Amino acid sequence: MLELLGAGILNVLQAKYLLSLVIGTLAGVVGGALPGVTITMTIILILPFTFGLDPLQGLAAMTGVYVGGSAGGLITACLIGIPGTPSAIATTFDGFPMAQKWQPGRALWLGVWASVCGGLLGGVFLIAATGPLAAFALQFGPWEFFSLFLFALAMVAGLTEASLLKGLISGAIGLMATIIGADPIMGVPRLTLGSEFLQGGFQFLPILIGVFAFAQIMTDIEKMGGPGPAREVARVAPSLSVSHLKVIAEILGRPFLLLWSTVIGILIGVLPAIGGSAANIMAYDQAKKLSRHPERFGTGTPEGIIASEASNNANVGGSLVTIMAFGIPGDAVTAVMLGAMIIHGIQPGPLFVSQEPRLAYGIFAAYLLAHPIMVLLVGAGARLFLRIVTVPKPVLIPVVLVFCVIGAYALNNIIENVYVLLLFGVLGYAMVKLGFPLAPLILGVVLGDQIEVNLVRAIMTDANPWLFLTRPISGTLIGLSVASVVFAVWQHHRAQARLAEAAEPDVDF
Amino acid sequence: MLGRDGWAGLVCLAGSLGLLALTRGLPQPALVPIGPGFYPRLVLGSTALLSALLVLADLLARRRAGRPRRGEAPGPAPRPLIPPGWPLVLTTFGLFAAYVLLLPGLGYRLGTFLFVGALEAALEPRGGRRWLLIVVVAAATALVTHMVFETYLSVLLPRGRWTAF
Repeated sequence: MLELLGAGILNVLQAKYLLSLVIGTLAGVVGGALPGVTITMTIILILPFTFGLDPLQGLAAMTGVYVGGSAGGLITACLIGIPGTPSAIATTFDGFPMAQKWQPGRALWLGVWASVCGGLLGGVFLIAATGPLAAFALQFGPWEFFSLFLFALAMVAGLTEASLLKGLISGAIGLMATIIGADPIMGVPRLTLGSEFLQGGFQFLPILIGVFAFAQIMTDIEKMGGPGPAREVARVAPSLSVSHLKVIAEILGRPFLLLWSTVIGILIGVLPAIGGSAANIMAYDQAKKLSRHPERFGTGTPEGIIASEASNNANVGGSLVTIMAFGIPGDAVTAVMLGAMIIHGIQPGPLFVSQEPRLAYGIFAAYLLAHPIMVLLVGAGARLFLRIVTVPKPVLIPVVLVFCVIGAYALNNIIENVYVLLLFGVLGYAMVKLGFPLAPLILGVVLGDQIEVNLVRAIMTDANPWLFLTRPISGTLIGLSVASVVFAVWQHHRAQARLAEAAEPDVDF
Repeated sequence: MLGRDGWAGLVCLAGSLGLLALTRGLPQPALVPIGPGFYPRLVLGSTALLSALLVLADLLARRRAGRPRRGEAPGPAPRPLIPPGWPLVLTTFGLFAAYVLLLPGLGYRLGTFLFVGALEAALEPRGGRRWLLIVVVAAATALVTHMVFETYLSVLLPRGRWTAF
């Protein structure tokens, strides 16, 4: 394993791969720092640039975006009090108060170095766990894969903030998008309405771009005219320079906090559906609960920054394990990552590490190397990134939309994909306005074909439907799917009951 | 009377039932246990069922809201369906649709220049010196992206049918 990793690192250190990784990490840091531009969006915007590259170049860039984006969000979170990405929300709680106490450099670098520590520990888990988990996944037949995908969908639908029904419908709409086109058994065109373009089915990239880009951009446009970050940058007058050794010692002096936050991040990353924002907040919450001074949280305590940043970068490692070993995305960001892999001709799954060791270890190496690159980039350009985030939205939005068009068009060089982008852009925005979550839709689109193929394979192999329940792994996964739905229903009822208690009027006896 | 969720459920129900009807013409092969219509029917049937449940849940919630009981939770205030900035949202969608539809005719460079300029002007219509910035950003976006994608990344962007540009 170490030999392969060493070869992977040497491979990625070649100029053509290193350049992709540096550019990807830079884009990730800037995209992560831009409030309103999420990591998902940054990956979507960078993806068309990688179409002409070889797979490892493209994936190195994507990995860089993912790692850089997870850390980039902390720049604005600490320095201007606006989390650049949802996974930096909890960083704001203590990062910004610390910056307001004239310690912006300490706040920023505590976050950066905690990200590096969490990320690298997540990397150790990624490298050590992917192989064994992939070997375990080799025991999976179509029944188990079908149940696993179902479990991922049930988790995503159940854990959304909106109602469970809306989450499930959103996932079902995603699946609906994948049934259009030729069927996988006989190649019979389905629901194509005579359109030649639809016979090939919808490509998922234009759908992803349309749904995410429009939902986000139109929501930004709705809010236009509100206070932007430009005025707030002026608050960060003091220098960002700091003694790095002191900051690292401050982090390593809290080994339990660092390890526990990293474990939370990794576990949440491995589980489908939860994502970096939950890891960030859960680790912060745990750090507060376990602290001897919980009252200091929210006032600029280093523990708050370390916990939230270590966990959200460790989460990246955990998410990559799930993609690489099982071929299922953990959340929207990893769904786009999975899409990027498929576009580059890679089908992640149990056989990926054993059949494509050069690529797999190249991704591991890119993941590890992205962390020091991210440190250098933040060190060189934190102030510059703050200037970039002040680019006015009226300038940024049209340019982002043009990139969306290029991304959709360049996939196959056909204009119909751009029409799909528009169609799903309207649908995505309408869904957001109607309170439907988008993550289940995306997961449905990404997993739809695999769900069908495995269901069909299972039934073709043995028409007995009870096998889905009686095979141990499949049955467990189906049980977990049901449990996650029941849990979501229970949670909803509990929330309703709490609301009812809160609404109970005071009664004078 | 239905609420927002109820109408959304009805639209999904109608859409899934419409597509379900279209699957009736799909062939059923004799040699294999399931045909090309099996999975779409499963997905569309489930969607229709879930949509019907959403409509029902909305109706029940509204009925309960009509008869408030002591201690019952007040439902969350519904978010406005029509956003406060809707003219800008509508303009953006309109300009984007025009861009996408005219792209094959105008070509990438001209279409992008016009789209970026028009959308920027629409999003910040202050006039004056802003016009220079708008023109510069629009031209730079069209030309730089064209150069990067066509020259360095071998991605051929659309040529205009009407402009040959």
